[in-house]
Amino acid sequence: MISSHIPDLDLITVYAQRQDTFFSRVSPWTSFAGLLLVILLITLTRNLVICGALYLVILGMYAAAGLPVRKLFAWYTLPVLFVLSLVGIMAWTEPGTPLFSLNTGLCTLTLTDNGLILVVTLLLKALISVTYSLFFLMTTRYQHFSAMIYRLFPTPLDQIFLMAYRFLFLTLSMTGSIFKAVRSRGGGIIHSIRVQGRIFAEVFALVFIRSFDRAERVHQAMIARGYNGKYEAGTEIPRPGLSGYCVIGAFTGVIALVVLFVPNTGGLL
Amino acid sequence: MTLVYRDPHAPHCPPIDKQRELIHVDCASHTYPDGSVGIHDMCFYVLRDEIVALCGPNGSGKSTLLEHLNGLLTPSEGDVWVNGRSITHGERSDLWKDVGVVFQRSDDQLFAPTVLDDVMFGPLNLGMSHADAEAAAMSALEGVGAADLVQKLPNYLSGGQKRLVSIAGVLAMKPKIMVLDEPTSDLDPLHSEQVEALILRFKRDYGISVVIATHDLDLAARIADRVCLVKNGSVFAEGTPDEVFYNPSLIKEAGLTLPHTVRIYLEYCKARGIKPEQRPIHRHELILALQSLQS
Repeated sequence: MISSHIPDLDLITVYAQRQDTFFSRVSPWTSFAGLLLVILLITLTRNLVICGALYLVILGMYAAAGLPVRKLFAWYTLPVLFVLSLVGIMAWTEPGTPLFSLNTGLCTLTLTDNGLILVVTLLLKALISVTYSLFFLMTTRYQHFSAMIYRLFPTPLDQIFLMAYRFLFLTLSMTGSIFKAVRSRGGGIIHSIRVQGRIFAEVFALVFIRSFDRAERVHQAMIARGYNGKYEAGTEIPRPGLSGYCVIGAFTGVIALVVLFVPNTGGLL
Repeated sequence: MTLVYRDPHAPHCPPIDKQRELIHVDCASHTYPDGSVGIHDMCFYVLRDEIVALCGPNGSGKSTLLEHLNGLLTPSEGDVWVNGRSITHGERSDLWKDVGVVFQRSDDQLFAPTVLDDVMFGPLNLGMSHADAEAAAMSALEGVGAADLVQKLPNYLSGGQKRLVSIAGVLAMKPKIMVLDEPTSDLDPLHSEQVEALILRFKRDYGISVVIATHDLDLAARIADRVCLVKNGSVFAEGTPDEVFYNPSLIKEAGLTLPHTVRIYLEYCKARGIKPEQRPIHRHELILALQSLQS
C-alpha cells in the first residue's frame, strides 16, 4: 500500500473475490447498468436532496455489502480535494443570499447560500460516482470484470487492459518491496525524497527497467504457448435475471420521474 | 549407457537411436546481440519416453539451450531438429505445439486474469473451441492437482500453486516434449515433491518426454533417466545418474556438489574405510546399501 488515501487495488480485488453477499450474486451486467444509470442521474439533476438521498442509498449498499467504510472515507481525500480545488472559487461568485463575507483588501468575497449548495451538490456527485464505482469493483469478481472489458472495449484497448491489470499488481508489489527495503535501512518516504531524491529516482528507474525486462519475458512465455497477437478472455458472465431487469427498469423509471417532475435547477427542491 | 565425455573443441554427439529421437541439437552455438555467447558447440538430444536433466551452475547455458528447443531462440551456428524437422532453416511457427516450456519464474508465465483463462490460453491458440479449451484446461488442472484453483486470480496463489498452474498451462496443450526450467526452485519441500511426482507421471501416464534444467542434483538423481552436465555453454559429459554422480571429479569440474544420497554413501564408506562398491541413487537404494555394509 503506497498511501491510505489512494484506493488500494489489491484490497479492492480481494474484496471482490471474497464477496459473498447478495450484491455479489447480482449479475455484473446489472451492476454495470446501475453504474451507467447513476452517472446519468447525477448528470441530469442538480437537486441537492436527490443527490443526498442517492449518496445515502449507495453508501448504505456499500456498507450492507460488508465493504470497508472507514477506508472509503480515507479514499475520499483525493476526489474531495479535486472538487474543492475546482469549485471552491465558484462558490464565492454564485448569486444568492449572502452568508459570509471576506475582505481581502483588494476586494470583498461573499459566500452565498447558492454557492454553498453548489459546492455540496458537486461534492456529493463526485462522492456518488466514486462510491458506486468502488462498490461495483468490490462486488464484481475480477474474472467477470475483465470479461466485460473484453466484450465492451475494442482491440487493442481490451488487450492492453487484460494484460496490464495483473502486472499492475506485480509492479506495485515490486515498488512496495523497494520501499520496504528503504524503510528497513532507516529511510522514510518524505525524509528520503527530500534528502535522498537521487536514490529515489534511481529506485523508480529500476522499477521501470525491471518491468520492461519482465514484459519481455512474459511476451516470450506467451509466444511459447502459441500467442498470435490476440488474447481472448474465456470467462462467461452471468446474465441478469428477471429481478435484475426489474431493478434496471425501476431505476430508469425513477430517473424519468426525476427528469420530468423535479426542477432541474440548483437548490434544495 | 556409458558415460560420455565431450571435448568442447571437438564436439560430437554419441550414436543416437534415431527411432526414438525427438530433439537433436547439432553442434549449435548462440551469440546474443550484446556479443555474449549463450551456448557453443552444443550437442544434445532427447529421446522418446525419457527424462533428461541438464545440470550446471548458474550462467552455464541451460536456459539458453531450453529456449532453442521451442524455437524461442535459433542457433547462430549449427542446427536444431525437432521431430526430424530442422527449425533453424525451416518453419518453426508451430513448434510450440510439440514442445511446451514451463519457465523458471511462474510470474512471467501467468499473465491472464484468472487461472482458467491462463490455462485455456494454449488450447485456444491450438484452435480449439471455447468448450474444448475449457475441458482441456480443467483436465490439465485436475492432472496437476490444482482443479480447486480454477476461478482464482494468479495474484493470490502461493509460489507452489503458481508453479502447478504454469505446468497445467503447458500440459493442457498436450505437448510431446515438456521442458521445465528449474522446476522446483523457490518451492517448499511439499510442492517440490508434488512437482517431482508430476514430472514422473508425465512420462509414465502421458508418454511425454521431459527435459529439466536444474542445479539441484538431488532432484536430477531422483527423476532423470539421463544426466547432461553443462559448463560454459556446452554439454561436456553425460550418462545415467549413477555414472555421472559417482564421479566426484566430474561433478567438481561442473561446479556442482554431489547429491545427498551419494555424499552420504561415499562419506560413510570413507569413515568405515570401505571401498564403495555400490551406487545408490534413490533413498531406498541408499538404505539397502548402508544395511548391506553394516551386515
